[in-house]
Amino acid sequence: MRRSLRRLVLPAGLLGLILLLALAAPLLPLADPVRQNIAGRLALPSANFWLGQDEYGRDVLSRILWGARVSLSVALAATIIAAVIGTLLGILGGYFRKFVELVTVRLAEVVLCFPPMLLALLVVTLLGPGAGTLVVSLGILFAPAFACLAYAETLSARALDYVTAQQALGAGPGRILLRTLLPNIAPPLIVQFSLTVASAMVLESGLSFLGLGVVPPSPSWGLMIRGARATMEQAPLLLFWPCLALAGTVLVLNLFCDRLRDALDPRAGGGGPAGFLRRAAALPGPALRKDATPGLLRIRGLTLEITGPRGPVAVVRDVGFSVAPGKTLALVGESGSGKTLTGLAVMGLLPGAVRVASGEILYTSRDGATRDLLRLPEAELRALRGRDLSMVFQDPSSSLNPLLRIGSQVAEALPRAPGRMARVVELFRQVGLPDPEGRARAWPHALSGGQRQRVMIAAAIANHPRLLLADEPTTALDVTVQAQILELLAGLKRSEQGMGMVFVTHNLAVVAQIADRVAVMYAGEVVEEGPVAEVFTAPRHPYTAALIAATPEGEAERLSAIPGAVPQAWAMPAGCRFAPRCSEARPACAQTAPPLQSIGPGRATRCLRWKELA
Amino acid sequence: MLAFAARRLAVSLALVWVVATLVFLVIHMIPGDPAELLLAQGGVAPDPALVADLRERLGLDQPLWTQYATYMGGLLQGDFGLSLQDEHAVADEIALRLPRTLELVATAGLLSVLIGLPAGVLAGLRAGQLTDRILSGIAALALSIPVFVIGTLAVLLLAQKLRLVSAGGYVPFATDPLRHIGLLLMPAGTIAFGLAAVVLRVTRGAVLEVLEREHVRAARARGLPAGAIIRRHVLRNSLTPVVTVVALHLGALLGGTVLVEFVFNWPGLSGYLVRSVEARDYPEVMGIVLVVSAIFVLLNFLVDMLYAVIDPRVRQG
Ligand code: SF4
Repeated sequence: MRRSLRRLVLPAGLLGLILLLALAAPLLPLADPVRQNIAGRLALPSANFWLGQDEYGRDVLSRILWGARVSLSVALAATIIAAVIGTLLGILGGYFRKFVELVTVRLAEVVLCFPPMLLALLVVTLLGPGAGTLVVSLGILFAPAFACLAYAETLSARALDYVTAQQALGAGPGRILLRTLLPNIAPPLIVQFSLTVASAMVLESGLSFLGLGVVPPSPSWGLMIRGARATMEQAPLLLFWPCLALAGTVLVLNLFCDRLRDALDPRAGGGGPAGFLRRAAALPGPALRKDATPGLLRIRGLTLEITGPRGPVAVVRDVGFSVAPGKTLALVGESGSGKTLTGLAVMGLLPGAVRVASGEILYTSRDGATRDLLRLPEAELRALRGRDLSMVFQDPSSSLNPLLRIGSQVAEALPRAPGRMARVVELFRQVGLPDPEGRARAWPHALSGGQRQRVMIAAAIANHPRLLLADEPTTALDVTVQAQILELLAGLKRSEQGMGMVFVTHNLAVVAQIADRVAVMYAGEVVEEGPVAEVFTAPRHPYTAALIAATPEGEAERLSAIPGAVPQAWAMPAGCRFAPRCSEARPACAQTAPPLQSIGPGRATRCLRWKELA
Repeated sequence: MLAFAARRLAVSLALVWVVATLVFLVIHMIPGDPAELLLAQGGVAPDPALVADLRERLGLDQPLWTQYATYMGGLLQGDFGLSLQDEHAVADEIALRLPRTLELVATAGLLSVLIGLPAGVLAGLRAGQLTDRILSGIAALALSIPVFVIGTLAVLLLAQKLRLVSAGGYVPFATDPLRHIGLLLMPAGTIAFGLAAVVLRVTRGAVLEVLEREHVRAARARGLPAGAIIRRHVLRNSLTPVVTVVALHLGALLGGTVLVEFVFNWPGLSGYLVRSVEARDYPEVMGIVLVVSAIFVLLNFLVDMLYAVIDPRVRQG
């Protein structure tokens, strides 16, 4: 059973118990909840009256249980009314839009303008107190929340493919609304339902407490608290029981909602700890490697795991490549091949869910010492980030904090010193931003996508890094802007002496333009590595060959022409991971996983049949 | 910015007008004659002469649109009509009691932000750890105890058992400032108990969400230390949802202080409202509902302005 479901058992069980007790109240051997017994006024708990007797000598236990019936039935009835009316209005408004939307949803929004207690009191004024009024007023009160929720959910579900498909098949709106749309928007509505029951109980008891809700002598928790207040100095227990019953029931309901929400929407609420406050990724062992031959970056045997439903799953397996000073390596692959995660692993910026299982990332810094970044403590790795290692991300619009001026964000990368802003302006000039002084004071939203990426590049090169990781830096941009950014990066290779670059991309045309070497990734593994010219003219892996064949000459095309899809991380083939899609596959391929083998100076491939391919 | 403010203000005024009209319509469209309903308490059929008299006094014998025009005209001059019970001007009574309720709500809001915001940030940054579990657990508990239960228990414990404070009441600030504040803190603290839990939850969620954003990762890639990331890239970005929730709750509280004012004998607007509801005093109820709703709308307007201060993108919007 899923963990989120297991966590649901306890509150669901308690809730069931409360409901059962309320339902069974007439069957239990309880005293009459309204029969007065003046002789037993304020009596303490006894064998006959387990929780004591109230100010009229009535049995408190019996009144609590009967009160649960009243409170729960009012809350449930009101919630059902609100849910039915609200959902109906919301779905109709969201499905038909236009006039219907205006009437239903905007009306709901106006009702939401009233503070809830006020609205309830307004209805009580008009209808007089009583359980019936309560149901009506609470129903009116909570319907708009359902309407708004159902409206929003319908709007998003309406655009889904199968809804459009049903429309195309000629299904009537009634059928679509009931059979297709409703089940799809049900989960958030169910959560809203249980939340509303809790709110309705609180409001009902509040109104009863004021004497404007349930009419005495009917037992209701709010009324019981109201009654016990007068005598609370002599008999505090009398106050305690209904308070406990009310708060306990609401607590159980709230808990139930929280857990239900987690169970229905696994993304929400589960929130892991802030990764960078406790980086779990550092591997044990010494970071400084005196024995290693210096080079800029050498990755060996890098394996990254996530925790799947059935144990750890490797999303990146045994990845290795190296980057020499002043050279550019392109990391190529389809989305989901693990190329971005590999880049993030170098920076130590992996998301919390991804764990480094094994491997080493050797980096030689300016002082000539070689360190394993996977074993470096967070504080030391942080000192390298932004100075030795820097990274440019895929989406420049979300990489900038919208609430801070651009200049001040780029300045973060620079050491605190006078003249910091002048340096920022200089950097902006270097990356070709028009009006660099003005841009430094601008907000991120005032810039175009290409300009934002230039800003990100300016921040990345602020300290003359030795290694620049560019994670699909042009993917989110227009084609013409893409070319400009590529030109800028190619120019940096010349101006920033000795800076190595890892260029992550899915675009082979870009690789030919910018890189010296290329590492092709497939399903979390490097399948081929070598100098760009050699790999492109004589690929030694069927996947590389298929990629090249799928890329039209000089055109920037997505890698999509190979039949089949990348296998899911938890369903990897036992042998060669490319076998299901490989045109060269033989039975042997499905049994042995090929190792990455060296096939000549600076070239490697992960294919059993590379010799036949040549 | 000015154009933005003007546009939002116009929308807010329109909303107030809609609410006023709605209140008017609701009162006049319910089945049965308000005058009859008013006099019919106890289930005895009222004397027709009395009803006719009351109808004339309330202007109910006029056509609906005339009544509407009179009502709107009165509103524009700050005239909410006369109380049916004692013929006092409703506006005067509101003007007397509203500041007390506002004071209560503002104090409660301030207290809950002072407690809930730092606690929520802490819980968010330590999500899943012991600190977070304890804080979130307390919040879940605080959210589940209705405000009048907390208030009543607080009176029992602090005032009656421990005799630390008096059970409730009101003393004007001018008469005795210290005692005024002492009496204010009990109801304000009671409201803040639950509200702080709300603030905590929203803040925690917002912090968690912002921590996952890409600009935080980009800031880390620039080598920023954790403290600077939290200060510059997390806290301020987490503020927007917190502002919304606090404002919405404060607005809801304007009517929701009813229970706390009742428990602590605080002579604010809500107690007045309960009395009017009990007496079915339509002009009073209409006046109070209208004023509170208008403040609610105004609050939303202020929130929008606050957004614009926090987020430069909104100003352009
Ligand atoms: S090992 Fe076999 S299946 Fe895998 S790429 Fe080579 S030929 Fe294709």
